[in-house]
Amino acid sequence: MSTPALELTGLKKSFGKAEIIRGIDLSIGKAERHAVIGPNGAGKSTLFNLITARFAPSAGTVKLHGEDLAGLEPFQINRKGLSRSFQITNIFPAMTVFENVRCALLWSQGYKYSFWNLVNRSRELTEGADRILDQINLLERRNLPAGTLSYAEQRALEIGITIAGGADVIMLDEPTAGMSNTETDYITDLILKVTAGKTLIMVEHDMSVVFGLADRISVLVYGEIIATGKPEEVRADARVQEAYLGAALEAEH
Amino acid sequence: MTVSDPRTDVPKGARPEEQITTDPSKPAQRMRSGSLVLTLAPWVIASVVLAILPMVFTNNSALTIMNQMSITIVFALAYNMLLGQGGMLSFGHAVYAGVGGFACMHIMNMSDFFSTIPLVILPVFGGLFGMGLAMIVGAFSTRNAGTVFAMISLGVGELIAACSVIIVAFFGGEEGVSGDRTYAQPFFGVEFLQQIEVYYLTAGWVVVSAALMYLWSRTPVGRMANAVRDNPERAEFLGYSSRWVRFYSFVASGFFAGVSGGLFAINYEILTEENLNTASSGIILLVTFLGGVGFFFGPIIGAIAFTLLQTVLSLSTELWAFYAGILFLSTVMFFPGGLAGLLMMHVPVFKLGKASTLIMPYLKTLLPAAIGLMGLAALVEMTFHYRHGATGDNEMTVFWTTFDSHTLMPWLVAGAITLIGLGIAKVTAPALKEAWSEATTAGGAS
Repeated sequence: MSTPALELTGLKKSFGKAEIIRGIDLSIGKAERHAVIGPNGAGKSTLFNLITARFAPSAGTVKLHGEDLAGLEPFQINRKGLSRSFQITNIFPAMTVFENVRCALLWSQGYKYSFWNLVNRSRELTEGADRILDQINLLERRNLPAGTLSYAEQRALEIGITIAGGADVIMLDEPTAGMSNTETDYITDLILKVTAGKTLIMVEHDMSVVFGLADRISVLVYGEIIATGKPEEVRADARVQEAYLGAALEAEH
Repeated sequence: MTVSDPRTDVPKGARPEEQITTDPSKPAQRMRSGSLVLTLAPWVIASVVLAILPMVFTNNSALTIMNQMSITIVFALAYNMLLGQGGMLSFGHAVYAGVGGFACMHIMNMSDFFSTIPLVILPVFGGLFGMGLAMIVGAFSTRNAGTVFAMISLGVGELIAACSVIIVAFFGGEEGVSGDRTYAQPFFGVEFLQQIEVYYLTAGWVVVSAALMYLWSRTPVGRMANAVRDNPERAEFLGYSSRWVRFYSFVASGFFAGVSGGLFAINYEILTEENLNTASSGIILLVTFLGGVGFFFGPIIGAIAFTLLQTVLSLSTELWAFYAGILFLSTVMFFPGGLAGLLMMHVPVFKLGKASTLIMPYLKTLLPAAIGLMGLAALVEMTFHYRHGATGDNEMTVFWTTFDSHTLMPWLVAGAITLIGLGIAKVTAPALKEAWSEATTAGGAS
C-alpha cells in the first residue's frame, strides 16, 4: 500500500490532568473520505486541532504524506497541502466574498508576501477565484461583504476558502452543524463535488451525512477510537451501538 | 445561490471542472474594462488641485498650513496602514516619523554629503531610517496584534521619547537639531529658498507616497493585511504567517512615517523631542480616526480637517484643543466610520438618484443644530473669558460680536440661541431620519 495521506501514531493530548485524546492510531489513505464521529466531548475537534497544529500534542506523531509535522506552525502545514475548516464559521467577514476566496488563492499561486504584484492585474487570481465561487454557487454574491451572507452561504464560502488553495487533504469540522435538512443536503452535495479526488477528513454529527459521504468511519469515544471501518461495519459493531450509535439511530426511527 | 434549490443529482466523484461555464457577462470581466480611467481620475484631480492651490491661496501663512497638511497626510496614511488596514493600534508611531526626521536633519548638517544630493530625495533617507527602526521594533512587537501590540508600541514610544533627552548627540537634547535645507545640491536650479518651492516638493511627495501606499494595499501582502486584521487564525490556515504579514505592514508603515518626518525636516529645518513624543503619536491616531480608518482616503480628509482646526481655529480661540477633543469623542461615539464613513454613507443615496430629497431635511436639522452649537460654543468661550480674562478687560468678541462678558444680556442671548437651535434640530430630527431611510431604500416614493 502506498503512503497514507495522513497517519496518526500514539497521539495524545492532555490539558492539565485531563486527558482528552488518549492514544490514537489512525491511517487515512489517499482520496479516502473519512468521517470521525462520536458523542459530544469525545475530543473530535481537539483531534482536528492537534492534526493542524492549533494545539501541540502531548505525545505521538502526525504524518502528512509520510512527513512528520512535529514543530510546524499552522501556516507551514497548510503549505504542505492540508487545509481545514472550523466548527464555528471562520471567514473574513468584512471583506467581500470574492476577496475571501482570492486571499485563499494567493499563497498557492506563489504570490507569498510580494509587494511588487498587483492582485487586480492577475487574471489567474480573478478567474481562479470566480471558478471557486462558481463551484460553491456564490458567484452572484461575489461583491457582498462575507458577513452579510446567510449562515448556509457562509458555511459554503468557508468550504470554498478551504479548498481554494488546492490542498489535497481537506479537513472539515462539522460542516453541516446547525443547518436545516435542505441546507444539509445542499452542503453534502457541495462537499462531494469540491472534494472529488481529494482526501477528506470530516467531523460530523449528522448520521445521514456521514453514512452518505464517508468511505470509512472512525468512532471516537472519550479520546479513543473504538472502531474504524466501512459504514456498514461500524453500524453493525456492538460497541459502537452501545456507546453512541444506538441512541442516535433509535432517535432517527 | 439558492439554498432551497440544491443540486441533488451530482454523482459521487464528479469532476468539478465539468460544471464550469465561461460566461462573458461575468462581473469579473466587465469590471476590468474601463476601470483604469476611474482608478486614475482621483489621482489626476488631486494632483491638479495640489498644483493650483498656491495660486488661489497666495500668502505665506496659507502655504505653511498647506505644507503642514501635506506632511500630516503622508503620516496619517502611513499610520492607517497599521490601524485601518492591518488592525494594529499603535500608541507610539510618532517615533518612526521623528527618527526619520532627525536622520534627515543630520544629513542636512553633513555638508559634504548633503551638497551632493538634491533636496527632493532627502525624504527617502527619512523613510529608510524610519523603516530601519520599524524593522527592529517590529521584529518583536508584531508577534501579536491587539493589546500586546498596543502596549509595546506605547512602551517603545515612551522609551525613545525619553532617549531624546539622554542621547543628545542624535536628538539634540531640549533644543533639538536644526539645519539648512538650502545647502543641498540645486535641483534643476531650484535651491528651495522660497516657501512655494518647498510647497511643490512636499506636494509632489504627497502624491507619490499616497500612490505608493494605495498600490501597496492592492498587493498580495497588502490584501493579506486585511485578512489578518479580520481573522488571523483563518489567515494562518491559508498558508500565511500572521506575524510576517503584520511585520511587512509595520515596516512599510515605518518607511512612509519616516518620509513624513523627512518632509517635516525640510519644511521646518528643526526637529525637537516634540516630533516623537507620545502627544504626537496620540494626535496622529486622532487625525486618522477622525478621517475614517475604513477607507483609504479617510486619513487624507482627517489630516485636512485636523490641520484646519489646529491652525485656523487656534487663531480665533485658545480652546481649540477642547473643541478638537469633543469632535474626536463624538466621532468615536456616533460616527465610528469617521468623516470618510459619513461621506461614503451617501454613495447609495446618489446611486438611487435620491440625493435631492435629502437637501431640505438636512437644512432643517443641521442648520439649527449648527446655530445651537455656535451658541453653546459662545457660552463656553464666555465662561472661559469670565474666569480667565485679564482683570478689568471685560470686553470679548465671539462670532464677530463684541460685548461685555460680565453683564447678563449676552449670557441670556447665547443661552436662548443654544436652546432654540438645538430644540428645533431635535424636533426636525425624526423627519430627517425618515427622509434618510426613504432615500436609502430602492423603489418609488410612497
